[in-house]
Amino acid sequence: MVTTIKVLEIIASPLVALIIGILFLGLFRKMMARIQWRYGPPLIQPVIDLVRLFSQRGFSHGAIFDMGIIISLAGTLVLILFIPIGGMCPLESTGGLLVILYVMLFAPIGIALSGGGGVNPNISIGISRKLILTLSYEVPFIFIILALMSYYRSISIVEIVNAQAHFRWSLFSPLFLSGVAYFMILPAMLGIRPFDIAGAPQEISSGAYVEYGGKYLAFAKIEHALALFIIIALFVNLFLGGGNLLTFLLKMLAVFVTGVFIHAVFPRFRIEQATKYLWFWPTIISFISLIFIQLIRWQNG
Amino acid sequence: MDRNQVKKWLESPAKMGHKYSLWAVYFCTGCGIIEVPPVITSRWDAERFGVLPAPSPRHANLFLITGYVSVKTLKAIINTYELMPEPKYTVGFGSCPINGGMYWDSYNTIKHLDKYIPVDGWIAGCMPRPEAIFIAVTHLWTLIDKGMAKGYIKYRENYERYRENQEKALGRLEWPPLFPVKDENE
Repeated sequence: MVTTIKVLEIIASPLVALIIGILFLGLFRKMMARIQWRYGPPLIQPVIDLVRLFSQRGFSHGAIFDMGIIISLAGTLVLILFIPIGGMCPLESTGGLLVILYVMLFAPIGIALSGGGGVNPNISIGISRKLILTLSYEVPFIFIILALMSYYRSISIVEIVNAQAHFRWSLFSPLFLSGVAYFMILPAMLGIRPFDIAGAPQEISSGAYVEYGGKYLAFAKIEHALALFIIIALFVNLFLGGGNLLTFLLKMLAVFVTGVFIHAVFPRFRIEQATKYLWFWPTIISFISLIFIQLIRWQNG
Repeated sequence: MDRNQVKKWLESPAKMGHKYSLWAVYFCTGCGIIEVPPVITSRWDAERFGVLPAPSPRHANLFLITGYVSVKTLKAIINTYELMPEPKYTVGFGSCPINGGMYWDSYNTIKHLDKYIPVDGWIAGCMPRPEAIFIAVTHLWTLIDKGMAKGYIKYRENYERYRENQEKALGRLEWPPLFPVKDENE
């Protein structure tokens, strides 16, 4: 019986992530349109785009070009199994936060591999920007994760979620500063403005995605939707206390809407400005928080 | 979405996908491009019909030729058209691509665009209003529905003739043929 439930969860959680992720993409375009006083596309426009892209003939640039996008998509799909979605976490007993830290790098590396197959110069610019940006936000991210793990004395994400039950959210605990730092790097992790330097459509023709046509672009879009879901879900789990499926999705919606507002009002950073910002304020705040947590631990023995 | 369109969606999802998700190439050939920014921004909002400017020709399936076509631009147009994945649709915007327009006796522009690449529809006028793009898009929907927008099939079938015309206008072409051509020496 337990095995059956586990198998069902393994099937269900990527499906939930896919549906919510694609719905978020549609909501993103609709909300941006309403902010700009336009009527905007229908909510299911990303689904229509996906149907169109899957029915178009794509161009391949060799085996690595094909494999890279599959590695990226597979890495993202595996990552979902480690993240609790409203009490549903198929692989809860393995690894926890450490595995998430490692597997999160699969998607950019897969896209970078795939870009190695194409010959467009925009691809190499986009990939180098993406990797520099990843390097920039991983530093404060590591500090945040270390602070969380030492505060709760656990590497299991499920235990961290359970410890926050009954409104004892990490955001309103001694981890407050870590939560603030995480919120400051959230746009960089999502790749929205002011940090959409890696896929800037007007500047470098969407960077690493420039040679994708047809089903390649469709897979890249699905990967993007899943990554959007994962990063917001991670924030909700670590700092807003998870919850059951309904409250979990409502919290995700709140975080996502805040992200869209940030996207709507800011212009785009240059890459060195982004690195300067990410290695200054979020890093300092998360480091102070880490030291603070260590002091608390030392005092309590 | 209309309720009576559900049957069409179930019958051929690909065709409906092509209809309601037309991504246009960012490509400015001439003065007509000045009408496109109002179309895609707040005033006339083309996104509600699914029309979106695509950052790369690989993502796109609609090609708007906006304005006169000089010989140098023609080279870029042919290159871009061949980069786009099939099925793809071309719309000539303004009177210049139709018959030369006010550049009919210019030494440096071509007069009939459809000799060089297949064109699915025309928007006449100098300049057409932004609303004309929406009329063109709705006409293109009808053409796709009836299976009449098959310029890309025409291009594949008559590639030799198109390439002959392209070589006549541009001299020797630097890129290899997109589809197999019979060798002249045989």
